[in-house]
Amino acid sequence: MKTFAARILGPAALVLLLLAGCATRPPADDPEALQEFKENNDPFEPANRAMFEVNEVIDKAVLQPIAEAYRDLLPEPVRSGIRNVLGNLRAPTILSGDLLQGNVTRARKTLGRFIVNSTIGIGGIVDVGRRYDVHGHSEDMGQTLSVWGVGEGFYMFVPLLGPTTARDLTGFGIDVYANVQNLFGQGQILEVWGYTRLGMTVVDTREALLEPFDMVRKTSLDPYSTLRSAYRQRRAFEIQNKESPAGAVAPAGGVGFGQGVMEPR
Amino acid sequence: MPRIMISRRLLLAGLAGLASIPARAQQMDITRATAFVDRAGQDLVNAINDQRLNQTQRRDKVGSVLRSAIDIEGTGRFILGRYVRQASPAELQDYLKLFDEIIIRNLSARFGEYRGVKFSLGRSQQRTEEDALVSTLIERPSNPSFTLDWRVAEINGQPKVVDVIAEGTSLRLTTRSEYAAVIQRNSGRVASLLDAMRGQIAQLAAREGG
Repeated sequence: MKTFAARILGPAALVLLLLAGCATRPPADDPEALQEFKENNDPFEPANRAMFEVNEVIDKAVLQPIAEAYRDLLPEPVRSGIRNVLGNLRAPTILSGDLLQGNVTRARKTLGRFIVNSTIGIGGIVDVGRRYDVHGHSEDMGQTLSVWGVGEGFYMFVPLLGPTTARDLTGFGIDVYANVQNLFGQGQILEVWGYTRLGMTVVDTREALLEPFDMVRKTSLDPYSTLRSAYRQRRAFEIQNKESPAGAVAPAGGVGFGQGVMEPR
Repeated sequence: MPRIMISRRLLLAGLAGLASIPARAQQMDITRATAFVDRAGQDLVNAINDQRLNQTQRRDKVGSVLRSAIDIEGTGRFILGRYVRQASPAELQDYLKLFDEIIIRNLSARFGEYRGVKFSLGRSQQRTEEDALVSTLIERPSNPSFTLDWRVAEINGQPKVVDVIAEGTSLRLTTRSEYAAVIQRNSGRVASLLDAMRGQIAQLAAREGG
């Protein structure tokens, strides 16, 4: 993932950025337009829109068909099991987020769920915690940085990763690094496992977003700005820990379009 | 002389009292808001799950329930935001008409798919002084359940829905951002938004017909 991003996405991003240039700041005599410009905080909008189009092409050609096939081929209980396992594997990231934010109650929940789900829940396949009304939640380094007072920074759209901000992308990088450190350079089996997990996370997340995405494409006059607004609102909601108990342990921030992945049934 | 003073004072006090009445009337009572959402929600669910209706009838029924529950004009104005003042009176009138059609079509199409839907009230809380936020849980067979929050305000003495918030994402905020982007990307012309909206209605109509 890291090497792929570094080798291909980095230079591609740079080239597109240079080609597309920057957003034009409205004149100072239009305070409302200026206010809106600041709220959007999207100085590289032309470049981001180009990236969004790139992502649309990749998504329609590859990701969406894979997600649809995944839904068609695997029965619902199997997909739920996979989602639960992936959520359980995120426990270390979530636990460190809980602790770094000083939220002991949520940290206890995360730890308890991890222990029970990993054992009685057979490696996380069954979300036993939820059955006892101890619902999961999501955390990531982007949220922690926000709780520490880091502003979100400018908006970005990264192909395959989706909407993000300078802060959330930094947080995502730290989370990936912390995960990768345990897996890579320690033999091929762990490396393959790392890629499998990443691939499954992408497919699972995209499958959960099939309907919301269809809806945005069908009903929005400008899907780019709809996603930008939805991402910001959803992140604010997650940072305030207001997710509804119906939500599953979603891969927030990074691969996940900042949307809550709903509870599987 | 003193009598005049007193009566003037009384008059002033009376005026101040009168002025404060409309302000108080604007406040949304949470119990009233919750009862309203409960009733509108049940009407909606009944329309969606009514076996006697065919698809067109169902869509019409859902549309009429939504139309009576939503403050379409106020929401439309909120979404157009600062461009309300830039639009000509004719453009604003066109906009509100198109917005009415789009919101009803989009929401009826979305809710129309929720066959077998169940709806229950969640915990509700008062948000601001003007409106109330009523939270509901939407459950569908073999689908994930999710929470939907309804922002309810007092409009001309009637409770009306002014926003729908799904898992933290407000429909009126995302739509405002969307419409503003369309106008800005077409050199600030409100007319270009109206064209885009007409195009969307034509597309929606074609899809519903097919």
